[in-house]
Amino acid sequence: MSSLRQYFQNINDGVVSTYKGMMVTLRAFLKTQGFRKVRDGYDYGAGPITISYPEVKDDIPLNSRNRLFMHQEGCISCNQCAVICPVECITIESRKKTAEEDDGSKTPAHFGSKPLKLKLLRFDIDEALCCFCGLCTEVCPTECLVHTPEYEYSKFDRDHLIYDYLNFNDDNPLPEG
Amino acid sequence: MKDFTEPHHEEDIGLQTEEMTINMGPQHPSTHGVLRVVIKSDGEIIRGAYPDIGYLHRCFEKHTENREYIQGIPFTSRMDYVAAMSQELGYVLAIEKLLNLEIPERAQAIRVIISELQRIASHLLSIGTYGLDMGGFTAFLYAFRDREKVLRIFEEICGARLLYNYMRPGGVSRDLTPGVIDKIKDFTKYLKPNLDEMNDLLTNNSIFVSRTAHIGIMDVNHSISYGLSGPNLRGSGFNWDLRKDQPYCGYEKYDFDVCVGEGERGEPGDCWNRYYVRMKEMYQSLRIIEQACESLPEGEHTAKAPKSPKPVGEIYMESECPRGTLGYHIVADGGKKPWRVKAKSPCFIATSTIDEMCRGMMLADVVAFLGSIDIVLGEVDR
Repeated sequence: MSSLRQYFQNINDGVVSTYKGMMVTLRAFLKTQGFRKVRDGYDYGAGPITISYPEVKDDIPLNSRNRLFMHQEGCISCNQCAVICPVECITIESRKKTAEEDDGSKTPAHFGSKPLKLKLLRFDIDEALCCFCGLCTEVCPTECLVHTPEYEYSKFDRDHLIYDYLNFNDDNPLPEG
Repeated sequence: MKDFTEPHHEEDIGLQTEEMTINMGPQHPSTHGVLRVVIKSDGEIIRGAYPDIGYLHRCFEKHTENREYIQGIPFTSRMDYVAAMSQELGYVLAIEKLLNLEIPERAQAIRVIISELQRIASHLLSIGTYGLDMGGFTAFLYAFRDREKVLRIFEEICGARLLYNYMRPGGVSRDLTPGVIDKIKDFTKYLKPNLDEMNDLLTNNSIFVSRTAHIGIMDVNHSISYGLSGPNLRGSGFNWDLRKDQPYCGYEKYDFDVCVGEGERGEPGDCWNRYYVRMKEMYQSLRIIEQACESLPEGEHTAKAPKSPKPVGEIYMESECPRGTLGYHIVADGGKKPWRVKAKSPCFIATSTIDEMCRGMMLADVVAFLGSIDIVLGEVDR
């Protein structure tokens, strides 16, 4: 007798839980048909949330960490970013300026406008190696090295992901900062 | 009725069938990563299951020993990429304890909010993919929709969606952006009805219950002798949570319950209870986040910590990450780099239970068991 009761109980459980699950999906379906709620101007995704990516682009927060960019005029060749980088993707070479090379260039205004004694010879960032940890931008004293929200920069050749920030040409175009 | 799951029943009736070796993984979708389980099966019944790990070994410990303390933080977040904030927090807590740093109140509150949000995101992923393994596709989509909100909040706070590098010895790298607290509060209000929906879809669904209840039962003594922790241990009914028992980051200030498996369906220690502990923990995490957001103190987001710390000593620091107790053992010799770093990972221990638990199970239940212990192979292999 009890097994018979169990049999009907199982049927009842199956029907009830299927009904409950279908009601959840039905509610979600109705939300997509113009019943979506936007609370306090912040849409919490009630309704369709899929974005057709290449046509519609998502808003990326301004401080999101994607491709690195270096403002050349701000760099004082302090080498701190290259030292802190855990994957060693930044290569900097610099030497002391000779007397005739000294053109009176100064460090940026927010860094005290001191005379710049080092000449930057090389500043390469290998974006293929970069792990986007953001440690380099934190230590940069002049804030010339920044992460940009730019994320679409894939290339066919891995060598093209090495950005040489001192020599830009057609093969190595200046990324938008 | 004869229990056909009992091992070696063929000898009793004089029948011998040939054992078959099946490779499950490393590309199997329900192993949640690159886990290969070599299964010896007798028909549908499993005679042995040997987890083969190491496909995702990236030398985390050696990498951190060859770099400065702060440079090791990005590597910790790559261990458990699903709950990166909690992994960073554990590493940073160990360094802080070596340096005897005083952490500002605000930094601690931010850490609590962040790590509880991370717990919700991690549990949502775990529950969603578990539903997927058990044949419920809808729950998976809904869970990922809600997880996306958490990732959005993280992206706004620290700039990255998955591998954050947000914790620092002494505090956090950036203060909360203005307005993000309101978004977190809105999120807590948003998530609660959606979790109730998830209960309708999965928890009380009769198909889901019959596939998970009374499957893979791990009793309390067994769990403790293996060294399980986190939801896997609490699912067996043992009340142990480091947030309550060894509070760190000021968890003692918040009012929350430790969720244990009580056997509402099935019995404590089975797959359903391990799953339901995660479900209940999300409600408790929401409670903690609400309290922390209400009482968020003003002040500094980081203490004055040395730029490249040079601690001396040896430390073992544990913290409660979404998958269990994560411990970092650091030996520091006063140099810029740690002399030795060892991570005690909860997933590795959960992986070690696979062989014993899977013996005598049906083949289809292995998927249920693997999903319920919620392992992330990045943390197992490190």
